[in-house]
This record gives sequence, C-alpha cells and structure tokens, in this order.
Amino acid sequence: MEEMLREYLPIIVFLGLAIAIGLILVLAAVVVAVRNPDPEKVSAYECGFNAFDDARMKFDVRFYLVSILFIIFDLEVAFLFPWAVAFKDLSMVGFWSMMVFLAVLTIGFAYEWKKGALEWE
Amino acid sequence: MISSDIQIVLPEIILALFAMGALLGAVYTGKDKTASFLTWLTAGVFLVLGAWIGLNGQGTQEAFGGMFIDDSFSRFAKVVILFSAAAVLIVSIDYMAKRDLLRFEYPILVALATVGMMVMVSAGDLMALYMGLELQSLALYVVASLRRDSAKSTEAGLKYFVLGALSSGLLLYGASLTYGFAGTTLFSGILTAVGHDVSIGLLFGMVFMMSGFAFKVSAAPFHMWTPDVYEGSPTPVTAFFATAPKVAAMGLFARVVYDAFGGVVGDWQQIVMMLSILSMFVGAIAAIGQTNIKRLMAYSSIAHMGFALMGLAAGTAMGVEAMLVYMSIYVTMNIGTFAFILSMEKDGKPVTEIKALSMYSKKEPLKALALLVLMFSLAGVPPMLGFMGKLAVFRAALEADLVWLAVAAGIASVIGAFYYLRVVYYMYFGEDSDALDGTMSPVAWGMLVASAVIMLVGIVNLFGIVPMAAEAAQALVN
Amino acid sequence: MVEFFTTTNLGILLLTVGQCLLVLVPLLVALAFLMYADRKVWAAVQMRKGPNIVGVFGLLQSFADFIKYIVKEIVVPAGADKFVFFLAPLISFVMAVIAWAVIPFNDGWVLADINVAILYVFAISSLEVYGVIMGGWASNSKYPFLGSLRSAAQMISYEVSIGLIIIGVIISTGSMNFGDIVRAQDGYGILSWYFIPHFPMLFLFFISALAETNRPPFDLPEAESELVAGYQVEYSSTPFLLFMIGELTAVVLMCALVSLLFLGGWLSPVEFLPDGILWMVAKMVFCFFIFAMVKAITPRYRYDQLMRLGWKVFLPMSLAWVVLVSFLAKFEVLGGFWARWVIGG
Repeated sequence: MEEMLREYLPIIVFLGLAIAIGLILVLAAVVVAVRNPDPEKVSAYECGFNAFDDARMKFDVRFYLVSILFIIFDLEVAFLFPWAVAFKDLSMVGFWSMMVFLAVLTIGFAYEWKKGALEWE
Repeated sequence: MISSDIQIVLPEIILALFAMGALLGAVYTGKDKTASFLTWLTAGVFLVLGAWIGLNGQGTQEAFGGMFIDDSFSRFAKVVILFSAAAVLIVSIDYMAKRDLLRFEYPILVALATVGMMVMVSAGDLMALYMGLELQSLALYVVASLRRDSAKSTEAGLKYFVLGALSSGLLLYGASLTYGFAGTTLFSGILTAVGHDVSIGLLFGMVFMMSGFAFKVSAAPFHMWTPDVYEGSPTPVTAFFATAPKVAAMGLFARVVYDAFGGVVGDWQQIVMMLSILSMFVGAIAAIGQTNIKRLMAYSSIAHMGFALMGLAAGTAMGVEAMLVYMSIYVTMNIGTFAFILSMEKDGKPVTEIKALSMYSKKEPLKALALLVLMFSLAGVPPMLGFMGKLAVFRAALEADLVWLAVAAGIASVIGAFYYLRVVYYMYFGEDSDALDGTMSPVAWGMLVASAVIMLVGIVNLFGIVPMAAEAAQALVN
Repeated sequence: MVEFFTTTNLGILLLTVGQCLLVLVPLLVALAFLMYADRKVWAAVQMRKGPNIVGVFGLLQSFADFIKYIVKEIVVPAGADKFVFFLAPLISFVMAVIAWAVIPFNDGWVLADINVAILYVFAISSLEVYGVIMGGWASNSKYPFLGSLRSAAQMISYEVSIGLIIIGVIISTGSMNFGDIVRAQDGYGILSWYFIPHFPMLFLFFISALAETNRPPFDLPEAESELVAGYQVEYSSTPFLLFMIGELTAVVLMCALVSLLFLGGWLSPVEFLPDGILWMVAKMVFCFFIFAMVKAITPRYRYDQLMRLGWKVFLPMSLAWVVLVSFLAKFEVLGGFWARWVIGG
C-alpha cells in the first residue's frame, strides 16, 4: 500500500507545482499590470453592440444529446480498459461477454444513427 | 457450464434479442409504419414465452453461480407479467393509433421493461436485482413521457425519473450496506451471513432496500409519484404501470425478504406491516376526493398493494401464496378496467373525469354492467373474484396471528369500497348527460367483458391458480 | 546524503519536487520555442518571414510575448462569475500540465511510474473540457458561451474515438504503463513499432488529436469569422496566457502520445543506433511539425462536417478496429503471425 501510494506522490507534487505556477502567473498580472476598468470596457463583447440580453440562454438540444452519447461510449471505453489489459488471460467467456456488450451498444448506435441523432443541420 | 446457464435464462435472452432485432428491423424499414404490426408481434412473443415458461418449467435451477434463479415462484410471476403485458399491448394499439402515439419504440420499450421484470423476479444476487430493476425502470421512464408534446406526459416522465432515481439510490445504498456487512452479493450468502440475528448494519441495509422496493410497488409512504405519473402518462402506459411492473416489484420484494433475509422474518415483518397498513389507508382515504379516474386508479393501486403486502407481512408460505393469488386477480381486474378507461372519450378526445360516466348504464348497459362487476370486484364485494383475493390475504394474516392487521384491513376496505361504488353510482343514478360518445375497439371490448366474466366465473375454483401459487410460495419460502 | 533523499520523508519530497521541476521547466521552455516554431512554419508555408525581430531569428519572440501578457490589464466582464472566471484558465493549464507526470522520456525517466498511466492521461484530458465550459459560462457573454458549447461537444466527441484507439494498443501490449508499451515495441527497430500493425489507427489518432486539442482544421471554437475567439473572447492578460499554454501543452502531449503509442517512444528506428531521449524528442518534434503543417495548409471544417466525421466515421472505424484486433489476437488468425507481432512479440 505504502509503495503504491508513493508512486502517486509525484503526481500530487506536480499538481501542486502546476497550481502554484498558474496562480503566480495570474497574480503577477494583478500586481504588475494596470487596472483601469470603465463600464464600456467591462461590458460583454458583442461586436460593438450593447449586449442584447442575458448570455445564459437556451441552446440547441443536440449539445445535450452529444453529451449523453459521450457518456454512453465513454463508459464503454472505461469497461474496455481493464478487459484489454487482461486480454491475454481472458477466457472465452470473458472474450465473448465483451463482444456481446459491444454488439448491444452497436445496435443502439445504429438505432440513433438511423433516427438522426447524429445529424447537425 | 455456460451453455447450461444460457439454457436457463433462454426466455430472457430470446426476449432481449427480439427487442434488439425489432429495434433495428423497424428503424431500418418503415419506422413508425411498422408500429402496429410490431405491437402485435411483441404481444405474440410475450404470449408464446409465457406459455413456454408456464408449461415447460420444472423444479428449481440456478444459473451463473446462483445469480439467476429459475423456480416455480419466478415462473408464476413471469407468466403473470408476460400475459398482462401482452394484454396491455393489445388493448393499447387502438388508443395509441388514434392519438398518433403508436411509435415503434413503444412495444420495444415494453419488451425491454419486461425483460427487466423477468430478471427481477429471478434475481438471486444483488447485482442481478439491480440490473433487472434498472432495465425495467429506465424503459418505463421513457414510455411515461411517450407523448412528448404534452406537458403533463413529460412532467410524468420527469417526475417518475427523478423520484425513481432517488429510490434506486436508496436501494443501492441499502444493497451496498448489505454487501459490506454480509461480504457477498449472493442472496444465499446473505442468508447465511444474516443468520437468525440481524446485525445493525445489515438491518440498515435491509431497511433501505425495502424502502426502494416500497417505492417501486408504490406502497405508502413512498407512493407520492403514483397519482401524478398515472394521470400524466398516456392511458395505455398507465395501464401497463398498474399491472406488470407491480407484479415484478412485488415478486422482487418477496424474493429478497425470503431469499436474503428469510432468517429474520420478525425484523422485516414489522416494516411490511407498516407499509401495508399505511398503503391501505392512504389508498382508501386519498381516493375519495379524486375526480379523475386515472388518479382514482392510482390510489386504488396503492390500496391494493397494501393488501398484497399484507400477505407478505404474514411471513408464511401461505402469505406468499395469498399475495401471488391477490396480485394475479388484481392484474386481471385492472386490465379490464383500463380497457374501459381507454375507450372513454368524447368527440374523439380522451376523457378521464369520473362525472363523465353519468347515466352511462342507459347508453351502454352491457359495458356499464361489466364495469360494475369490475368495480365491485376491486372493492372486494362478494361474490366477485376480488373478494376471494382479499379473503386469501385476510386468512393468511389471521393464521399468522396478525388479527389487528386483518381488522385494520377490513376497515380500510370498507372505506375504499366507497369510491368504487361512487363510480357505479354515477353510472346508474347520476345526472342525465351524454358525456361519452366513443366506441370501443372490439379487442378492448373483449378484454373488458372477459375480465368481468372472469371475476364472476372465477370464484368456482379461481381457474386452478391456487395450487400453482401454493407451489410457487413453497419454492420461495423453503 | 543519498540516504537523506531516499529514506526520510522530507528528502523524498524534496527529491520529487526536484524531479518535477526537472520535467516542468524544460517543458515550459520547450513550449516557448515550439510556439515560435509553430509560427515560423506557418509563416514559411505562406511565404512570410514570421517573427524575426526579438533575438536572433526572432527566437526570443515567445518570451517577449510572455512579458507582454503579464503587463496587460486583466479585464473582468461586469456580468462574469468571478471565481469561475479565474478558475477556468487555471484548470485548463493545470490539467494540461499534470498529464506529463506519467509520460516517460527515456527508459525509466518518468515521474510517476504508475500502472494505469494511459487511463490517467485519458481521465485528465477529459477534465480539460471543464476549463473550456467554465470559461465560456463564467464570461456571461454570448460568443464565449456558444464557443464553449461547440468546443466541449467537439472535444468529447473525439475523445471517444481516442479512447477506442488506445484500447487497440492496450490489447497488443497488455499494459497501461507507457514504459511497458514502448518496451513492447522493441525488437526489429522501426519494423516493431505499432504504427505498422495499427496503421490506420495512427491516422485516426492523429486527426482525433487535432480535434481534441481544437487545432486547425478543427479550430471551430475559435473560428474568428463567426465566434471571434470562442470561449476566450473575454479573457485577457495572463488568464488568456494560461489558456494558450494549456492548449499548446495539450498539443505537445498528443505528440508525446503518438510517439509513445505508435512510434516506439525513445527506441531507435535502426538497431545499430542506441536508444535514448533524443529519439523521443525527435519524434515529438516531428509530430509537432506535422501539427504545424496541418494548421498551415488545411481549410477549416464546418461544424456539421466535424461532428459527422467524429461520430459517423471515426467512432465506427475505431470500434471496428478494436473488434478486429481482439479477434485476430484471440484466434491467432494468419497462423498467429499478426498476433505474435503485436502481442508480446
């Protein structure tokens, strides 16, 4: 356990260093750079117009659809990772189970394709 | 080993393959044009599978190291589930087609939900349990919001989904506690780990899991979703909700409390009794003020779940037997009633107001009579079949020395009778009006009349389901 | 002295910090020159001179830019969610950088030699999406909002095929550790590298990497003509710099991944030359050169084409490839030749 945790120590340290560098950069600008805001400067950019309405608006449901599809397929990939690592030691049952899983997902994929869930415009 | 396992789960596999094949077949050919045919086909597959399971099954077999159990209990539940799902599909075609709701996904989702239910009642492991439950629930969430352009239907779907996810969370929490304290997800292993004295951790796990089940069978105090979902969903979907999933959830409930916690009957008995009494009274009292027949049926189903749970609360083989009999009768009554509700319409629009039934007997004496029989049966008035179901659970409770439970149930059923009789009152003595003008499809008419006839004729020997239920109960309790 | 660094907790910590700096500092310096190289290549293709004022041949251009960013004013839009607004570039930067913790530059030259390295990189690069989404949302302005939506959808779309392509390599190797993956490509020099048996996947991976890192021709999030600069519109000064460094780091990380997964990492292409870090660097620079060339010579994709390519071409292809590889490997098709080549060859 101790050994395993030690392997991850560099990642934590690296994370700390990266955060530190990022913060230093932001703070450097805060300290060094001028700050001179005026209402025109801090208003939202909209090609020179004043902003028409709030930017928190409705957006196309297809983005939502893409994220749902992503979750499904990313999960599929997540299941595949351990399977692929243990590939050499897999029994036939293990092999075919994954193939059935992939087949079921592929059926879903074919369905959504044909249903037009992947169409943009 | 694997081929014999597959042999045992063959019905489920066939149904799942059918659903996937149908999905691809339909989406690559006529899409919604195939829906009507597909619905018939699905119903046919249900019937064939139901007959196959009912006639073919022998003894008790386990697959995948005990994760999947095929015994007479699961077979009994599966046959009821498959037949009722088929009946609902057949009844719904006409209604769905009229309202442009007949999408080809509908029968497929119902088929997938049915696969889930079949896995549920056969589960021998927490994993299989959850998998079946989720497959069922996810499919049901979607069919609840099948009418996408209706605010009520989407609301129903969303409500069902959010609350369903909550209950799944409770259930999972309980399952993981149980797994943590028992060290295994297998029911048989949990049974040994529990022994005859449940530890506090396992007790918590059990209570959480039972809360999850109570939600799925819509037993009070976990019933809040039922009226809204029943009201908002398209009526055929409501009919489906009220029948097969209830049987499956009840089967699962019984499966878990006996197979995993059979050693500590006393501990869960109290919870089931509480659920049972609350459901009976909530169902009976809250239904009185309802003016919408779908909401009425929702409360009616809550009350009926209370009675069915009473059988379970007895904690004996006889109790389980009574519960199974009760559920079978309940499902039959509900299919008939919903066949009628589906045909309630005026100027082509569906009507769900109870008042619309005023003086219906004058216009359609036969249908009114059939509905009268069904309502009496739902209320448990002798000599209808509904009375036999109630009698069975009362007897089971009395034999288990739960006299006060039986007395409470008696009171609740008297209260409950009021609103069933109100429907009858409107039909025969209401103010004169011509609220309903729809015609009934021959199939729905057949279902309605058949169901009413069964309610009357069935009391002779209940079509022999009692010995089957007894065998099923024996398989579970021992 | 040596004992202090290997046995005591403080020593180990200090040693690790030193090692991290040893990776981080050269990496950031290299980024500065790669940025310069990127612009030079671009300029050369368009027959311009590119940056040539600061330092010899303009070599110090990036450093001048760096100083310029620091002295610029940070403009925070009035309606912005301030905390998230500053968190977003930080996440973008940190996530791009910490993935390097598991990348080996030579045999054993790796900060964290963990056995789930690919999974770690995969997970971290998924988290980069958060920087984009948060940046677009926190700005409370329409262009960033739309840009971030597009960007996020694009990144996650291609992430799926990247994942599937990696699966193919893992099946061949049986390990998620980059060291093991490179060592599995050792043998007959260039002939043993995975880009031969996994040939089509090299292209898929490379193109997906372009899309995943929002590089041209898939730089729709920053499509100037329609979205100005996508989710970065409202950013200025060092927060903007952090976004840029993050993006470039992700690009170089993809170069490293291509080198490790398909081009044999630090292995020498011919047997008579020694293996070493120079090969790794050379391969990464080569990949980056291709990245820069692609940027210079390809026209931008349309968004619907981009999504079509991701979901209807790459996803089915990479999925089919996973199935193909696993069948070939499991059933030793072709007398097991291919399987032996690829599996523990």
